[in-house]
Amino acid sequence: MATIESIQAAYIDYALTEGEQPKSVYIFAKQNEMSEAEFYQFYGSFEAVEQGIWAGFATKTLAEIRAQEVWEGYTAREKALSFFYGFFELLKSSRSFAVYSIKKQPKGFTTPRIFSPLKDLFESFADEILKEGIESTELSDRKYFSKKYKDALWIQFVFVLNFWINDNSAGFEKTDEAIEKGINVTFDLFQRSPIDNLFEYGKFLVQNGGIKDKMGF
Amino acid sequence: MEDKEKVSPSGEDLEGAPEQNSIPTTKVQRSAKFVKTGIKIGGNYIKHYSKKLFNPDLDKSELNEDNAADIYQSLSELKGSALKVAQMLSMDKNLLPQAYVDKFTQSQYNAPPLSGPLIVQTFRKYFGKNPDQIFDKFNIRSTNAASIGQVHQAELNGKKLAVKIQYPGVGDSISSDLKLVKPFAFRMLGMSEKELDVYMKEVEERLLEETDYELEVRRSVEFSNACANLNNVVFPKYYPELSSKRIITMDWLEGKHLKEFLATNPSQDLRNQIGQALWDFYNFQQHELRAVHADPHPGNFMITPEGKLGVIDFGCIKEMPEDFYYPFFSLTSANLLDNKEETIKAFRQLDMIHKGDTPAQIEFYYTQYKEMISLFAQPYITDTFDFGQTEFFDQLYGFGERISKMSEFKQARGVKHFIYVNRTNFGLYNILHELKAKVKTDTFKPHVVLEY
Repeated sequence: MATIESIQAAYIDYALTEGEQPKSVYIFAKQNEMSEAEFYQFYGSFEAVEQGIWAGFATKTLAEIRAQEVWEGYTAREKALSFFYGFFELLKSSRSFAVYSIKKQPKGFTTPRIFSPLKDLFESFADEILKEGIESTELSDRKYFSKKYKDALWIQFVFVLNFWINDNSAGFEKTDEAIEKGINVTFDLFQRSPIDNLFEYGKFLVQNGGIKDKMGF
Repeated sequence: MEDKEKVSPSGEDLEGAPEQNSIPTTKVQRSAKFVKTGIKIGGNYIKHYSKKLFNPDLDKSELNEDNAADIYQSLSELKGSALKVAQMLSMDKNLLPQAYVDKFTQSQYNAPPLSGPLIVQTFRKYFGKNPDQIFDKFNIRSTNAASIGQVHQAELNGKKLAVKIQYPGVGDSISSDLKLVKPFAFRMLGMSEKELDVYMKEVEERLLEETDYELEVRRSVEFSNACANLNNVVFPKYYPELSSKRIITMDWLEGKHLKEFLATNPSQDLRNQIGQALWDFYNFQQHELRAVHADPHPGNFMITPEGKLGVIDFGCIKEMPEDFYYPFFSLTSANLLDNKEETIKAFRQLDMIHKGDTPAQIEFYYTQYKEMISLFAQPYITDTFDFGQTEFFDQLYGFGERISKMSEFKQARGVKHFIYVNRTNFGLYNILHELKAKVKTDTFKPHVVLEY
């Protein structure tokens, strides 16, 4: 009897051995001694299998980091860092598949479809920790912008993923550095910074400094 | 840190550097954080990229120059005694690498502390476990910065431990930083690439060795065993099974750093005792082991409540080959230095007098180097030496100042081994001076060869 895991494993094995996805569900099902109908019980297409594999990485990571003793004491920043480290540590064991899967995506600005469920998971996680961060005043609540924080984190995530794919350093140490530095910069921007002060000062001057009159407005 | 007992490997606590995830509370703090070290180089990048917006052909050479200029500027800000002394024996020429070594070590103290998750990640990577699965207690917030890492307190089976964790990517940044400084150094010093390379390589080698924590653990065990019989010197126990390429676990040594120790107004006897321990520790290594803990930074020592010297960092070890050891230390014996012919032979062996030098040059360098060596050797000549006296140090600095202005020393002289051996001995002299210690200097004597 096929299961989600067995289909995923068989698919990864096929794709990595042959360097491409199976020609048809029929061939794939036959090779793995199941009926086509059985396959469709779990997935509608090969793309859905890949989506499931990627989403699985995130689910596993989240379960793992949330089980850590230190988790509850972490700030939003540390929770984000923890997710990134955990995710890429886990991905290490499936690096060949990750490289295969990403390399065949067309280059472009839109999120590849295979990442859609992963992105949903990621965003709900990001939303959760960002809200926590704003509530605890760790992060600054800005009009319009705070809603975009999670997009910034997703962009970070895609960036690190691409970085990792091309990382040749031993133990992917460079990726660790990219995570540490990148996430910290991102969160530095999320928290109150001199830019906020500058912005407020500008607002103050416009309202009280008579700039409007002098500029002839 | 207010807590005097809370000290551990490689001093310099993190007071100045708030952990990244703490939110600075006042506006002053916030702005202070913003203008912290590194902003200048960051500025250079911004400058570079904004120029590039208008001129896409702009290459990076200007950027590198800007960066190197800023690095060099911070180097030349290093006007403390360390630099002056380094200047001395290193003969102005290896000044840059030397200053770079010091500045480099210092700049590492400004590195932002590692985040908690990265600590966890480092443990998972090397041990496959979280730190709380390995230790009974593990403090995820670091207590002290070490030169290229940070120190955490842990507990296992009722024992207090110090766990040193290295910043990722330090090795790479050493090589690339040195590369960045190099072309600038050629120009600044008017030195040929080949000449400077010898010194740069030596520095790079030592610095890279410092990033190898597995090597450090092996050496720490070796050296602490070899030095176990020295009076009043103690070492923490190391745990190789709890150490890896990026992690070192050792016993937590209780004690005070030099500055804190001196602030307690210790008696002359106690200061002599610590000074003697230092002297013995260094001279036993130099003359018996021929390899020496080459980083006499005050942060690498602790003074225990029992009045013993604790040594906590074996990251930087300089091995002395025989063809350097004998000519150099033989010069510290008055008998050799009185014999001009043999002295010149030794200078030649140490590359302080070059093959192509004219008789007038030989005479000149002979006189200068002889004066320098006899200054350096003063503590060795008598049985006891009072490092508290300032005249000796004034003489040293004065001499260093004088020769740094002489054009004859604008050329590379001296074998590469001088860089670290000088740093070690002058570092030692400096600490002893701070201690104002009177030391018996005949405990471990140099091995001397009187003829070449």
